[in-house]
Amino acid sequence: MNKSWVYVGLTCLFELFWVYGFNVASSWWHWVIIVGIILVDFHFLSKACEKLPTGTVYAVFAAVGTAGTALMDVVLFAADFHLQKGLFIVLIIIGVVSLKLADNQDEGEVG
Amino acid sequence: MGWLLVFLAAVSEIIGVVGLKMYSTQKKNAVNTLLFVGGFGCAFALLYASFQFLQLSIAYAVWIGMGTAGGVLVNMIFFGESRNMGRIISVVIIVAGVTGLKAVSV
Repeated sequence: MNKSWVYVGLTCLFELFWVYGFNVASSWWHWVIIVGIILVDFHFLSKACEKLPTGTVYAVFAAVGTAGTALMDVVLFAADFHLQKGLFIVLIIIGVVSLKLADNQDEGEVG
Repeated sequence: MGWLLVFLAAVSEIIGVVGLKMYSTQKKNAVNTLLFVGGFGCAFALLYASFQFLQLSIAYAVWIGMGTAGGVLVNMIFFGESRNMGRIISVVIIVAGVTGLKAVSV
């Protein structure tokens, strides 16, 4: 169970690496590295889904990717930060935490 | 045209999630690998194509909302994943968050 969440963390981290790559790639061999990172990322994604519900893993993957990309744009690529962005990021975090709690509760009920 | 591409991109993403489920919990055979990698690959290609017709943030917001919600629903309906109220509410919150965030990001 905990090991699977390590895979969730890794797949989210590698997702941010390739999104960063998309932003900075400027020659063909950069894209070779990016494709490699995507394949490693997909490997972690599938490992995470072996023990956790795929719906949960995928929702967290999409959530962290979206919030992380928005923050990356602000911190590294000088995008504007405004209140609406911050509020939606907080909403995403609330959703992820509550999804994890809901799954834990479910596991408790089953066994 | 743009919306059709976004819709097809979301459908491809859901196919990718089905492939992900089967690849990780059933067999790592050619069909499941193709559904998994091909589904996500097509999703990105179609989404990228839609940017020619639609504003990037709007296309991305609609795609990620449909794809995330669809991915979770397909797993609940066809693969018997838990449908407890807490999970459903959490996914609705996440979909609202990712869609809203993409919509306000230019």
